[in-house]
Amino acid sequence: MTDIPSDTRTAAPSTGEEGAAPRARAGAPLADPAAERRRARRSRRYRWDMKWSPYALIAPFFLFFIAFGLFPLLYTGWASLHRVELGTPTDMEWVGLRNFSRLLEDEFFWNALRNTFTIGLISTVPQLLMALGLAHLLHYRLRGSMFFRVAILTPYATSVAAATLVFVLMFSRTDHGMINWALGLVGVDAVDWQNGDWTAQIAVSSIVIWRWTGYNALIYLAAMQAIPNDLYESAALDGASRWQQFRHVTIPSLRPTILFTCVVSTIGATQLFGEPLLFSQGASPTGGSDHQFQTLGLYLYEQGWFNQHLGRSSAIAWTMFLILVLIGLLNWAISRWIRRSA
Amino acid sequence: MASLKKRGAGRQLHGGKLAYAVLILFTIGSLFPLVWTAIAASRNNTRLAETPPPFWFGGNLFKNLEIAWTDANMGTALLNTLVVAGTITVGTVLFSTLAGFAFAKLRFRFRGLLLLLVVGTMMVPPQLSVVPLFMMVAEFGWTDQLQSVILPTLVSAFGVFFMRQYLIEALPTEVIEAARVDGASSLRLIWHVVFPAARPAMAVLGMLTFVMAWNDFFWPIIALTQGGEPTVQVALAGLGRGQIPDQSVIMAGALLGTLPLLIAFVLFGKQIVGGIMQGAVKG
Amino acid sequence: MRYRTRTSRTAVVLAAATALAAGLLAGCAEDSDEPGGSSGGGGDGGGGKGRTTLTVGVFGAFGLQEAGLYEEYEKLNPDIDIKQNSVQRNENYWPALLTHLSSGSGLSDIQAVEVGNIAELTGTHSGKLMDLGKTQGVDKGAYLDWKWQQGTTDDGKTIALGTDIGPTGICYRKDLFKKAGLPTDREAVGKLWAGDWNKYLEAGKRFKEKAPEGTAFVDGATGVMAAVHGSGKEKFYDAEGELIYKDSAGVKAGWDLAAEFAESGLTAKLQQFQPSWDQAFSNASFATVTCPPWMLGYIKDKAGDKGEDQWDVAAAPKPSNWGGSFLTVPEAGKNKEEAAKLVAWLTAPKQQAKLFDKRASFPSAEAAYDLPEVKDAKNPYFGDAPVGQIFAKAAEGVPVQPIGPKDGIISQYLADTGMLGVDQKGTSPDKAWDKAMKTIDNALDQ
Repeated sequence: MTDIPSDTRTAAPSTGEEGAAPRARAGAPLADPAAERRRARRSRRYRWDMKWSPYALIAPFFLFFIAFGLFPLLYTGWASLHRVELGTPTDMEWVGLRNFSRLLEDEFFWNALRNTFTIGLISTVPQLLMALGLAHLLHYRLRGSMFFRVAILTPYATSVAAATLVFVLMFSRTDHGMINWALGLVGVDAVDWQNGDWTAQIAVSSIVIWRWTGYNALIYLAAMQAIPNDLYESAALDGASRWQQFRHVTIPSLRPTILFTCVVSTIGATQLFGEPLLFSQGASPTGGSDHQFQTLGLYLYEQGWFNQHLGRSSAIAWTMFLILVLIGLLNWAISRWIRRSA
Repeated sequence: MASLKKRGAGRQLHGGKLAYAVLILFTIGSLFPLVWTAIAASRNNTRLAETPPPFWFGGNLFKNLEIAWTDANMGTALLNTLVVAGTITVGTVLFSTLAGFAFAKLRFRFRGLLLLLVVGTMMVPPQLSVVPLFMMVAEFGWTDQLQSVILPTLVSAFGVFFMRQYLIEALPTEVIEAARVDGASSLRLIWHVVFPAARPAMAVLGMLTFVMAWNDFFWPIIALTQGGEPTVQVALAGLGRGQIPDQSVIMAGALLGTLPLLIAFVLFGKQIVGGIMQGAVKG
Repeated sequence: MRYRTRTSRTAVVLAAATALAAGLLAGCAEDSDEPGGSSGGGGDGGGGKGRTTLTVGVFGAFGLQEAGLYEEYEKLNPDIDIKQNSVQRNENYWPALLTHLSSGSGLSDIQAVEVGNIAELTGTHSGKLMDLGKTQGVDKGAYLDWKWQQGTTDDGKTIALGTDIGPTGICYRKDLFKKAGLPTDREAVGKLWAGDWNKYLEAGKRFKEKAPEGTAFVDGATGVMAAVHGSGKEKFYDAEGELIYKDSAGVKAGWDLAAEFAESGLTAKLQQFQPSWDQAFSNASFATVTCPPWMLGYIKDKAGDKGEDQWDVAAAPKPSNWGGSFLTVPEAGKNKEEAAKLVAWLTAPKQQAKLFDKRASFPSAEAAYDLPEVKDAKNPYFGDAPVGQIFAKAAEGVPVQPIGPKDGIISQYLADTGMLGVDQKGTSPDKAWDKAMKTIDNALDQ
């Protein structure tokens, strides 16, 4: 925000004569009174324009933003302090912090938090590692490199819903499911993906991984292409192998990007909803008969729209937000630490 | 501007056989579920319960597509989604460009504060506003109408920030000043200077927004519950809930819902990849 | 660089074209939206003088449209148009209906309600619904008394008229029964387990001894549980309206029996209304399933030609009820009077009998049982079983259970987070019971 001396009036000194030109012309001796008035009017309008147009430009955004972003955000906080039921939402009863304090002893909340964390971990770590490797490969000179790029990006075009429906079928319980059939070929018994605690989480994570690996790979690739070539040249001169170049040139240069993708993936993982919802039979919001893959997003939905407790649901939403703020702070601390150590 | 620097793309290393092998593997992994969606959609429910699963197309594709089109409401859903995603894209790109330009190049009171607000809300999860939004939508009588999913998503904080970052560098301050000197009003300035300069970023933002809006799931399935006017994702969720308990028809629905974006990928894949990579460098 | 600028230009054109197309479409869609009045009310759309469009909101395969009843009513009343909005699953339909009721918007002129939710409506939202008991042509005496009471508030306001009920029989596969050495004649099969659910279990054990490979006795434990729950004197509430799901004898009996089915390996471990369940019908991988009348049509669809003459239907061990629905008219509607007339007509015995004939939804109007559509009904797919008489007999024996506002959600959680775990995961019944109770407690706690 320090780099924008853009207003013409303040900019005038720096650009010298050009900036001063209109006023100079206005003061020219040949001007007749009518033209003078016209000019004055124009300059009034001009000043008015200069003063108010920035607000006009940001107004549409802020109007919608306040109505559908900021207001709901604050209202969720207000609702979280009340008992509000779905059937009678105007009937609010003040309960103070009870909706929050009860979360502490709500085993379903802790279960959902734990699941969100483990699914987030299982889906994010392999995803970003694979993306990094893919980007490295795509960075080579390749025949058909554009084909590969488009191909690995196509899952990104597939919606959560469509992807999950397909994966549900592939992870089918019995041996006719694609994955169990493939496992059968190598002599592994059919796995009941949905009903196992870990297997269900792995299956849900695999949907996330499938959809986002290619996208992240392209982001890494873009960052890799921005690394100046001389860094590699000098590394090569020092006798660094390809692997050493990757470790000592590529990775350090990518740090900000890696951090960025980590944050984005973490935010995505915290809000995970569609995959676990549609992964269960009949799209039940419980995330399996043991709640074994119920995430926070899903629990919020269950509390609000199945159990009809909008107040409790709001409290979960705010808790999710606080967790994200914590992650944000952590990210800030890490990036400071990286910057200092770099 | 990173893109103006001498790029590392000049790295002359050729990929070895291993690189190709791994890439081909990932390509198969990326495409297989989609291809198999089509295969499953061309079979029938009974065949999908047999071992081994089918690996080639059967003869039921059009029958299943037709059932999905009518019974699962995919026809209406596709049209609705086009309306929703199209409107959201136009709104987001337009309003983000205007606000992004103001934040990048104009001076006004509270600019820093307002920008901080925009950046701060980028991290707010959609879950946080869903309860009041739901109550508002019910209050206004918008439930099951498309505006209930369009209006809350019509602007995006990310979009504003993205356009601001782009315009700071892409739009030289001197050009604005020169236009001002010529007495150009803000409107003229925006039309003749800002929009042309912002075009590449607008395209990238538009594409990202369209894909996101097309695939949006969480809010639409809450707002469009009565099923009269579903978006594609709502219709697909209905299929997942056992609306039509026939796997091959479910897969036909998934196929229909993905097809438009897939076609766009086949036609404009190169541009989309370029857009995402450009966006990544800017963001 | 050249490549990059070309990229953006194409992308701009693409974006612009999409935007334009979308804008045009948006215009069209908004225009066409208006006359239909999808937001409820309806009003007089279509432009014709005094023409009224009535909207009907239903869930699942309600069948009114499919049975041609709307069409018939439109013919009888040329100035009425009927439009149906359908949501597949009641779990989604119900929360939406609640919000619409509370905001008074987004409602259809007529809204269907499932029996699991009807008590919440009579208890807390009766003020927002019309009293249909006084509508012309509605004859209280024609309905089963308990069904009428379920739609009536404590102060005697009848806000919902019953459509169908779900008296259950047991559908069974003759071929599998024969191979397993069990009788195949529907009378004999009925006698096999008459009067006692435990005999049903015994029959299952006998079946298992000689069962053809890859077949189970029932589809899943949750279906058994639901059937037993529908046959007890009490379920989740007692007559005073107190919650008793934790220690109700009926609930426990259903749980224990279903758990025993699961633990004895008599189930195919399927969840109902899922694709795998459908596939199992066509693969003949289970021998029996609890059968409300509408299930017969479902089986015919899914088992297809291969199942022709293989299925039959016998009486259930005890008369039991599974599901059933009501029609209501929200006060917020613009065409309340017309809507009430339509509801009265749709729920009259004659129309209920037609619905049974076409869609196998069993009438809740007792007077319909003597009409030929019901009395003489035979189902050719099920070996010409006299389904009308079988289900009428079951209906008369169905116990009158007190129902409460949270019936729907309790039974859903009891199945999804309880019995399903026993059946599919092999969780011990005690542990699963505890988990289900915790889930239900948590769900009911405001």
